[in-house]
Amino acid sequence: MRNKIKNMSDTSLLLSITIVVFFLMYIGAMVFQGKGFLKPQTFFNILNANAALILMSCGLTIVMIIGSIDISVGGVAALVSMCCAVYLDYKGGNVFVSMLIALAIGVAYGVIQGYLIAYLDIQPFIVSLAGMFFARGMTTIVHTNPFNVENQSFVALKETRIIVPGMGSVNKLGKYVNAYVEIGVIVALLAVLVLFFVLRYTKFGRALYAVGGNKTSALMLGINVKKTKFMAHLLCGILAGIGGYVYFLHVGSGAASHASGAEMNAIASSIIGGTMLTGGVGNIIGTLFGVLSLATIQSIVSSAGMDQAWWTGITIAAMLCLFLVIQSVVIARKTKSLKKQ
Amino acid sequence: MANNNKSGSGFFGKLIHNQIFIPLAALLLLVLFNLVFDPSFFKITLGQNAAGNPVLSGYLVTILDYGSELAILAIGMTLVTAASGGQDISVGATIAICGSALLRVLCGRNSRPDELQAPIIVAFLVACIVGMLCGAFNGMLVSIFKIQPMVATLILFTAGRSIAAWINNNELPIVGDPTFAYFGSFFPGIPIPAPVFIAAFCLIIIFVVLKFTTLGLYTQAVGINPSSSRLNGLNPQFIKFVSFVILGLCVAVAALIKVSRLSTINYSVIAKDIEMDAILAVALGGNPLGGGKFNMWASIIGAYVIQFLTTTLYKFKVSSDALSAYKAVVVILLVVFSAPTVREWIGAKFKKITAKKGVA
Amino acid sequence: MMMDRPSVKIIYIMIIASLCCLMAACGGKDAGAVSDIKEKGGKERIVVGFSQLGAESDWRSANTESMKSVFSKENGYELIFDDAQQKQTNQITAIRSFIQQDVDYIVLAPVTETGWDTVLSEAKEAGIPVIIVDRQVDVSDESLFTCWVGSDFELEARKVCMWMSYFFNKKGIKSEDVHIVDIQGTIGSTAQIGRTKGFDDMANLYGWDVVAHEPGDFTKSKAKEAMFAILRNYDNVNVVFCENDNEALGVIEVLEASGKKCGSDITNGEIMVVSFDGVNKAAVSSLVAGKISCIGECNPLHGPRVESIIRKLARGQEPYKYQYVNEKIFAGTSAVPSIMLGGKEYKVTVFNEETLYEWPY
Repeated sequence: MRNKIKNMSDTSLLLSITIVVFFLMYIGAMVFQGKGFLKPQTFFNILNANAALILMSCGLTIVMIIGSIDISVGGVAALVSMCCAVYLDYKGGNVFVSMLIALAIGVAYGVIQGYLIAYLDIQPFIVSLAGMFFARGMTTIVHTNPFNVENQSFVALKETRIIVPGMGSVNKLGKYVNAYVEIGVIVALLAVLVLFFVLRYTKFGRALYAVGGNKTSALMLGINVKKTKFMAHLLCGILAGIGGYVYFLHVGSGAASHASGAEMNAIASSIIGGTMLTGGVGNIIGTLFGVLSLATIQSIVSSAGMDQAWWTGITIAAMLCLFLVIQSVVIARKTKSLKKQ
Repeated sequence: MANNNKSGSGFFGKLIHNQIFIPLAALLLLVLFNLVFDPSFFKITLGQNAAGNPVLSGYLVTILDYGSELAILAIGMTLVTAASGGQDISVGATIAICGSALLRVLCGRNSRPDELQAPIIVAFLVACIVGMLCGAFNGMLVSIFKIQPMVATLILFTAGRSIAAWINNNELPIVGDPTFAYFGSFFPGIPIPAPVFIAAFCLIIIFVVLKFTTLGLYTQAVGINPSSSRLNGLNPQFIKFVSFVILGLCVAVAALIKVSRLSTINYSVIAKDIEMDAILAVALGGNPLGGGKFNMWASIIGAYVIQFLTTTLYKFKVSSDALSAYKAVVVILLVVFSAPTVREWIGAKFKKITAKKGVA
Repeated sequence: MMMDRPSVKIIYIMIIASLCCLMAACGGKDAGAVSDIKEKGGKERIVVGFSQLGAESDWRSANTESMKSVFSKENGYELIFDDAQQKQTNQITAIRSFIQQDVDYIVLAPVTETGWDTVLSEAKEAGIPVIIVDRQVDVSDESLFTCWVGSDFELEARKVCMWMSYFFNKKGIKSEDVHIVDIQGTIGSTAQIGRTKGFDDMANLYGWDVVAHEPGDFTKSKAKEAMFAILRNYDNVNVVFCENDNEALGVIEVLEASGKKCGSDITNGEIMVVSFDGVNKAAVSSLVAGKISCIGECNPLHGPRVESIIRKLARGQEPYKYQYVNEKIFAGTSAVPSIMLGGKEYKVTVFNEETLYEWPY
């Protein structure tokens, strides 16, 4: 066993730490908090509320694997929500077109940011910072005040619930209530699945890791570094667009303050999930668990009724800190042992 | 001639390649824009405030006044960028922490005291220590654990405002003493806003430090190549650490101004997005965000240019929420034109034109 | 860089094993929960989930404090408090979590009026009464919530405007000489909508010159920004109508910093500031000092009111659907002793150095 652990790659070691921590935390919550956490619906509520974050974090994981960053995803989500909300309410439009709008915004962001970063060699941080500023500002220009969408077909889609068989629970009135998830969760889990296979089994996936690991050797292997970078950012933009729509579907309203701080939560989830900002290391499954861990902390803090709202921020930061230190120690030991060999 | 070609061509080429050109050009552009559309932008009037003290007012004074925090932060941010090749995104949150600590010392247990519970200087020193501790925490993560600066500072970015609320039990203390408000407005009898003096003082200090110590040189050496600077007897970890501590100190000073302006604090809003502006100031100053060489003055001019832009936009009644969209456009234009690939391309075009002229 | 085979297996085994644990724990829970309630049977506490929208103003803090002190362990309650930090999504998440925890009552101070149908019907399905405080909710079916407690914001604004009109009459100020700006609260909140509407109606009625509406988000800093912008763009403003005290304090600071004097003597160049809430000590001191001329009280002490509703509900009685709180008018001068509005007389409470002890907060 010990040998096996030693032989584990960075990715899997970090991933397993994340998974173990998540389950420990959740089981701990069940034991010590009881009540809500024993109901499966609590878990599905976490999923419902964080489906959009899962999608955005997946996008970030991909750009972080190539050693880049994108902090505009939260802004894009807000912009998507607002544009779709305005379109649906004022223009009386249909839901399908609103999805296309979301996708178009995502693609536009991906293409522009990707081009600036990959082909013009501009710092990704600055580009996506400007992207974030632009998206947030544009959101208020499109419409200043928050409002709820009343378009009927949209509301119907929003209220659509997919029942999870065999996971219901009995409520206070003694009625059996089925557990459910929203459509966004299905979209997010599908995306996780697809991206998992893309990263593991396709040429493009391997190219991502290669570019993030070492640009020069990637070039020597005949990988088009610029194109790979561009594609990674394009993918991230698309995921942000879809994530934005899923967020919109969950909240059903447009507001400039939507998804504020989502970019930082997404980065934090990716890091907790074992992705390294230096590039070359990362895993989608880890990101999924990163989001779940983060959301579980929030859920524990809120259901404990700790009236001190600040504990959420502090616990997440402490956990982030812990994971970062573990990562750096792991890497330091790795490089040391490599040197010895 | 050959020499000239290498560094661009002629005076214009030299100017274009000078780092300070970018912020100055941006400033010039803004000034021209305002001159054309509304020359009254440059009017400065001498009025009186409620206490009967003479005060200067006008857009230029506003820029100098409100640009102070940003200029002070730009000092620290430039050093951090140069030494570590990354940016500190926690400055806004750290301002909240320092400000909260400052108010806690001033107000004591009661959040609405009738008189100060401690001298302002003591409170300020405590804030400085808190700021430096936060800087040290970031610095430690970056230098010892070798975590990328942006990620390391993400921790305080997430926790900072929560910590700030925790320091004061989520109450909103209000300082009633008018002397405390001087630091964010005017010292009695002096018509120039106090933050301008504080900023100037900080600039003088950093000027002296850069001039008479090797801090600047070492920082650049570490930023350009940490391993070779280690071979030359420098301790790159220590220098990175120091740069973060200096930034922490800058943050504390900025926090004093920020808190004094309001005499109170709002944890989730105070200094919101200021980290982005500070990083922008460094980028506008043409400093490579990947570390290495830096030009402090370019950053500081960058900071004032950003404030100039903000004030200009306010004047044209752009709402504060929509402001960021316009800022983003300016930033993208700037970075595109300062990108090496684009600059080379422009340089090549320019050379072609001059060469043709030469032939003709 | 990619995962190597043996370790992948370990991870999968771990995932599956943990999932099994989770399922087992979930499956075995129902019995556990029941015993949990029984255990409590002897000294059963009433569990109240309170979703507060944020902590943006003094009014809000006083409101939170009042709830916390009433629903304390000593009084036989268990309060689960959630601060939503001004986001509706957070409030919806919190209510869902309350439902999962089987709380007995949910108290909601909503951040916006719309968008509550789904989550409130979930609460109704779960048989949990929902009591709305402060701002109102706009739902298709009124039975989704049990009742609402709060202030009549429009009436507050009308009262303050009426006070001003009495005052102007007395001082012989013509209505076309009144140049007034409205520093609004968070756009879309019930307080903002009500106060702005009351203000607009009365300003129209009396023919005051409304110079501008600027949003101030109920915060001092935003109000300062707004006031700066107003001073830059208009120079004839002589009355500032602030939609809460925090905004008024910010406005006073800006006015004084730019060399203006705050007071009720607007014929001599002073600028009149009127405001709402009256729970902030600094604001009431400003009232005594004459910097704020009039404050429409907005009572935040909802804790006892909500508790009496819960008692009623526990006894099986039906509380009133909408419960308005009686509120006063505070002024710094005795120029206007009382006002008539809608056929009702409202006495003006005058605060000065001596009578300040009567201030209820």
